[in-house]
Amino acid sequence: MANTDLYEYPPELREEFEATEAIQFRDGSSATAADVWHFMTEIAPKRYPFAYTQKKYAGVRLSRDIHLPSAIKNHYLLLTMNDRITKSRENGAPVIFVQGGQSVDPYYAAGGIALRPASVGLWARGRHEGLGLNEEVVRQHKQKEKAYHAISFEACQTAGYENIQEGGLPIDMVAPFTCLRCSDISYGVEAHRHGPNKAVKLMNIDYPMRHQADKKWAVEYFAQNLRRLTNEIGKLAGRDVTDDDLSKEIRLHNEGRRLAIETAELWWSADLPPTNGVDRRSLYQMGGMEVHGDPSASLTVLRESHAYIKERVKKGIKAEGVVDKPIRLFVCGSCVFPNDFRIEEAGAIIVGQDNHWSDISTLVEEDGDPYQNLAHAILSYPYEQSVELRAAWTIEQLKKSRADGVLFLYQWGCNTQSAIARMLCDTIKRDTGIPTMIIEQHEGGSEQSEQLLNRVNAFIEML
Amino acid sequence: MPIKTLEVIRKRLEDRPAELNKLRENGQKVVGWTGYNVPEEIIHALGFIPIRIAIGGDDRLVEVGGRYASSKNCVFIREIVGAFSENEDPYIQQTDILAFDATCLQNFRAAEVIEYYFKKDVIVLGVPRNFYWEEGKEYFGKEADEFTRLLEERAGVSLDLTKLGESVALYNDIRKTLKSIYSFQAAKDNVISWVEVFDLIQAGDLLDKKEYLALLHQTLAELQALQHNPVIEVDGNDARIFISGSLIPRGDRKLINIITSVGGRIVGDDIWTGILPHLDLDIKEISPAGVALAYLNRTPHAALPYLDLESDRRLKKLHELLAEFKAQGVIYHTLRYCDPFTFKAKETKDVLAKSAIPVLEIHTEYAGSDYEALRTRLEAFVEMIKIKAESAAEVTV
Repeated sequence: MANTDLYEYPPELREEFEATEAIQFRDGSSATAADVWHFMTEIAPKRYPFAYTQKKYAGVRLSRDIHLPSAIKNHYLLLTMNDRITKSRENGAPVIFVQGGQSVDPYYAAGGIALRPASVGLWARGRHEGLGLNEEVVRQHKQKEKAYHAISFEACQTAGYENIQEGGLPIDMVAPFTCLRCSDISYGVEAHRHGPNKAVKLMNIDYPMRHQADKKWAVEYFAQNLRRLTNEIGKLAGRDVTDDDLSKEIRLHNEGRRLAIETAELWWSADLPPTNGVDRRSLYQMGGMEVHGDPSASLTVLRESHAYIKERVKKGIKAEGVVDKPIRLFVCGSCVFPNDFRIEEAGAIIVGQDNHWSDISTLVEEDGDPYQNLAHAILSYPYEQSVELRAAWTIEQLKKSRADGVLFLYQWGCNTQSAIARMLCDTIKRDTGIPTMIIEQHEGGSEQSEQLLNRVNAFIEML
Repeated sequence: MPIKTLEVIRKRLEDRPAELNKLRENGQKVVGWTGYNVPEEIIHALGFIPIRIAIGGDDRLVEVGGRYASSKNCVFIREIVGAFSENEDPYIQQTDILAFDATCLQNFRAAEVIEYYFKKDVIVLGVPRNFYWEEGKEYFGKEADEFTRLLEERAGVSLDLTKLGESVALYNDIRKTLKSIYSFQAAKDNVISWVEVFDLIQAGDLLDKKEYLALLHQTLAELQALQHNPVIEVDGNDARIFISGSLIPRGDRKLINIITSVGGRIVGDDIWTGILPHLDLDIKEISPAGVALAYLNRTPHAALPYLDLESDRRLKKLHELLAEFKAQGVIYHTLRYCDPFTFKAKETKDVLAKSAIPVLEIHTEYAGSDYEALRTRLEAFVEMIKIKAESAAEVTV
């Protein structure tokens, strides 16, 4: 039964919101701010009540920074994922499962839609309407359990198996990068070979390791992987993919990356945090243009948000719910993060994260062979380098973001991030003296465990 | 009747650490290697002493290693890290250079951890996940060239292709002889057990290669004298067990001891510390890339994902070996957090079920706490196979 005690956007906000910009989609269509308002206040509360939960610490609840239009628009894009992706796919765009924290330029250049694991989960979630928070959490867990049964109970990342093989989600291809950020992903891709859905194409985009960006043959090999990838997606999309297609896409994605870098630098420079942690993360991630399944939509929202952040920083406007001088935490590790609401309640704020930021902050050379350029940029992701290089980049981000402490968080079952946790933290401590803490996170319900949050809170208190 | 050469080998293994120490004092260097596609012939041809770093079975070292890596790494990797931390293993103590490969990403991380905390000189060989693509093979060939270059720097000499050819011939002979010996253990009225052959294979990880080959020839001659015509066939009294899955390194004998203690007879394996790495290695070109590609073209290790179930060579090889050694049941062994094999456990069971081959999955680690639980399960499995075999024999009669 759906929860009837739902959050409502204040009606008096409507006029202010409807004066903001429209979201432009990749297919040329758009959603005006009035369309967004109507969906978010009339339609979504009925279709997706879980997102309107009043539960204070629920990770999925809507941002309460209602004067930041991007917050509402971001939620709009997340809650319309099923409608939009289903429609685009029906119009001929193949949908591809990818890794989180990787650039998606080649997928879009070939006419596809790249969805990272969380976005695939959002698409699947959107197909189940009317669920309250607890019902949605139970649904997700039941679904994940199917993957554990079909693959391994020690799996963290299952490459969307539960939704693609067991949930009928019409993904056309599973083709992530096989980088060190996640060792499970390539085994997850392989697991699809024994699932009932034989229609899904499988490909691992093989990411070389160890000084990879300095090795010509490694860059060449990765470029060959990218060429194979665009060819395969092109076949699914029914088109030939030219070098020019990729060059154009790189330019578009570079715009997002540059804008995210500028937004981050603005955010970090502010005396008072201009947004809460949830909205900060969404803004930075929009620069990667891989969250919403539509780079154009992400980019229009990011462009508008950038102007808002600039204004807030200039006027010294602090985000609602954040204390004046919060403890600034930088999060390292795998694709998880601590509960922002609890962290902010404890008097801290998350100012950055290495995961995702590593690829978003890596610009791609625009002149020359686009495959070689993209391959070189991707193999240069700081997150994928040796511990000393990764630590040096992380320290640079710590300085820029003026972080007081580092949390290294990894998910239960994550073999490769867990294995670098102590080395990275020891290097950071050695070179900066900034305190660090390593935490393992177990998959939880709608909120994180008290055990985890107690430790985070103790760390904040210590800082 | 005991095989006398096995006793000689045991004795040689006892002496080997001191011998290595002496050789190092005389200027020779030891390369400790770990991984699944390390072309050992290149190390050997450059004048290094290759030693395989494959140890297990010590829960205390797992605990120590986990403090440097993490508790989410497979127990084998954690034990290796722990062993470098303690530096008490007589072979680890003798290593000057380490060579790791990136077949398994956890192995790659172990290389980083050991390099970082224990200041070891580590060389890493990149391995393509798309190993069956021509582009992947080309990449691996170039990685092998780079691997050789890094070893040459440390050896202070360039690789002599004549010497490489000699090393390849030596290793080929070792592989061929091991294969011949291996068939004796699976024979009816066998004069050597699988466990003895398993130990014999692992002795080769540590002994001098030329001496090892001579000892293998001696072992084979003894076996041939004792059993002129070994025939592999099912004996009514046996429960013929095949071990598949995660590796079982030196020091880890828990599973093997339980299987034999409950009356199971191990007749084959496809584990990477057993016979599998020595099979189907066909070096067509005497060059670093040629040797490395032959390694990559063997039955692939489970850490290298292959995306088509029907043409998977690992499963094909498993079926071949099961048939060759007339196995009646498979113990699919997975180590804690060994993703390459745990991710394929259900799939392997499903595939073997289609061939009507009984499978028992054993998921374990190096602690002794699950010993009795494993014994109960293995005893039931062995009993089930024996009953099945007896029923089949009655039907045949």
